[in-house]
Amino acid sequence: MNAGFLPMPARIVAIEPLDRDHRLFSLRPAQPFDLRPGQFVEITIPGVGAFPVSACAPVAAGLLTSCIRRAGRVTEALFQLESGALLGVRGPFGNGFPVETFYGSDPLLIAGGLGIAPLRALLHALLAIPERVGRITLLYGTREPGALLFREELAGLAATGRIDLRLSVDFAEELSLEEWGVACEVGLVNDLLRAVTFDPARTVAALCGPPGLYRCLIEELARAGIPPQRIFATLERRMRCGIGECCHCVTGGVFLCREGPVFSLDRLRSMEGAI
Amino acid sequence: MPWPAFPSIALQPDEVGRLFSALASGRLMFGPRPGSDGSCRLQPLPEIPAHPGAAQPFLSLKKFLVPDGDPLWAWTSERYAGPPPPPRLTVVDLPLCDLQALAWLDLVFAEDPPYRARREALLVVGAPCQPAADCFCDPAGLLPGGDLFRAGTRWWALSPVGEALLVRAAGPGNLAGEPLPGPEPGGAVPTVDPARFAGSAGDPLWDEAAARCLACGACSAVCPTCMCYEVVDDPRLDGTVTRRRVWDNCFFPEHARVAGGHDFRPGRGRRLRFRFEHKYLGFGPWRGLSSCVGCGRCRRACPVGISLEEVAGRLARGAGP
Ligand SMILES: Cc1cc2nc3c(=O)[nH]c(=O)nc-3n(C[C@H](O)[C@H](O)[C@H](O)COP(=O)(O)OP(=O)(O)OC[C@H]3O[C@@H](n4cnc5c(N)ncnc54)[C@H](O)[C@@H]3O)c2cc1C
Ligand code: SF4
Ligand code: SF4
Ligand code: FES
Repeated sequence: MNAGFLPMPARIVAIEPLDRDHRLFSLRPAQPFDLRPGQFVEITIPGVGAFPVSACAPVAAGLLTSCIRRAGRVTEALFQLESGALLGVRGPFGNGFPVETFYGSDPLLIAGGLGIAPLRALLHALLAIPERVGRITLLYGTREPGALLFREELAGLAATGRIDLRLSVDFAEELSLEEWGVACEVGLVNDLLRAVTFDPARTVAALCGPPGLYRCLIEELARAGIPPQRIFATLERRMRCGIGECCHCVTGGVFLCREGPVFSLDRLRSMEGAI
Repeated sequence: MPWPAFPSIALQPDEVGRLFSALASGRLMFGPRPGSDGSCRLQPLPEIPAHPGAAQPFLSLKKFLVPDGDPLWAWTSERYAGPPPPPRLTVVDLPLCDLQALAWLDLVFAEDPPYRARREALLVVGAPCQPAADCFCDPAGLLPGGDLFRAGTRWWALSPVGEALLVRAAGPGNLAGEPLPGPEPGGAVPTVDPARFAGSAGDPLWDEAAARCLACGACSAVCPTCMCYEVVDDPRLDGTVTRRRVWDNCFFPEHARVAGGHDFRPGRGRRLRFRFEHKYLGFGPWRGLSSCVGCGRCRRACPVGISLEEVAGRLARGAGP
């Protein structure tokens, strides 16, 4: 896209509310660019600040689409803006998911909470190459049913048999998901994993979620027989530069912003404090 | 162990005169000078001192190359523009530890446009220093950066730019390799065994070393190779915005904290261990390259007398107190 610190001007062209604290923002940067699933950009609101964000869909027609949570100072300011506002974008940064590794496999995607955002970009990239990948399974857990993002879209993909979708919620005040014909468990994503059957030799797994999800799940995938080189997780850290300078993201001596944020489990095992 | 050799030549007075005018023309000059408070700082000089005499300034060249609050861009009338061209400077009489630290900054900021612009506008001249009792530079450490070095009438070219300046002053062909006349090492920068470090995460050593730490960040602020930064916007009433990078510090509690409050490096023990890892083991592409140049600034600046070398000694002696 561009080198150095100068952001490329980018206009908000659409805002779609998902729930109270999550919106889909579509940005049109001034020049064409590419962003692989799992890579990220830095969005700037001039005068407020910047934050790193991944795309929740493959870049299409020059549009960058991100699912953004209102989480603090800069994202709060973004939620005050309307379509047409001029922002800035730097990037792309990081490595992204190795989509080719999924060729010939049964992809197993596991998302916790907002972790669905980069995994949805990966999911769409995989759905675009049906001849190259086998059965796609998505396990997706959130705190409560209201927090499940992209419900209709995912339910539609499940209904047409394009993905095997399993949902779980930690708490359930209202379990209304049956109306989309999707089963939803009360419990943790781990329980979903125990309920699905997969052939570990054919499986490539990708995870994105809060630190707790990795701690309890990632080694379980390895114990189930998936080779650690075929289990990928994307790590979130404070990031202020994206280019291996500011030192905030360093974990186990590694600049996550440059070498990551996606790592295979065999690499993660050698990085102290990664999971 | 001698200091490394660089192309060198003894200059005649008229040649020195030509070199001095090349170093001074169109440039502001700075050098380490004691201030009224007795602390040595990089201060403006009216002219290049005739006789070399290096001293260690309180803050190193990082103050000029990655200044606190350095503008990254400005936003005016819906456009982003890069920072203005940096001032042309000559800094003389820097000690070898600070030249080694400069080499480290040149490495880690090799692709950083604001740094490169500042570096290309800067000429750095080193000189032998009088080592203090509490510093411990290492001739086997990083190859000194900078452009020129001088001692008596002899000059050394540390960079192609420096070599071109010498050739312009003295004519081509007379430079010959000669070791830099650096100080005898008064100690040694600790070497840390990566395996021992990796196995030390649960060692009480870190929390014990950090027990007195005030998390004031003085150690990183004065370190010539500590370069973490935070990024802030500076909006003005006229609608212009300047984005700046400001010095940050891995001892500050927000350093590894993300939205939602999760802290990936909680506690001072872990933060001290992080600084230790950065200094002695290096991060990313520079893993295995120590960035401690033994200047002794951190130990001197610490209000409670914490010393990373002592921590390294304890780690090397084995786990436990
Ligand atoms: C690789 C990557 C991908 C991400 N993808 C998404 C996404 O798709 N959708 C989404 O909503 N969020 C995503 N995040 C998290 C998002 O960056 C934070 O929620 C955001 O920075 C919060 O900024 P804030 O100013 O609103 O919060 P505050 O807590 O007020 O943050 C203050 C400053 O700290 C920095 N900061 C705080 N939290 C983080 C963090 N988690 N990561 C990096 N810097 C942080 C910010 O740059 C911010 O300016 C991603 C983070 C990373 C590292
Ligand atoms: S760690 Fe201390 S002694 Fe080493 S370079 Fe930094 S300030 Fe100097
Ligand atoms: S100078 Fe001393 S007290 Fe201050 S942060 Fe460094 S080690 Fe801690
Ligand atoms: S985000 Fe600055 S080093 Fe990784």
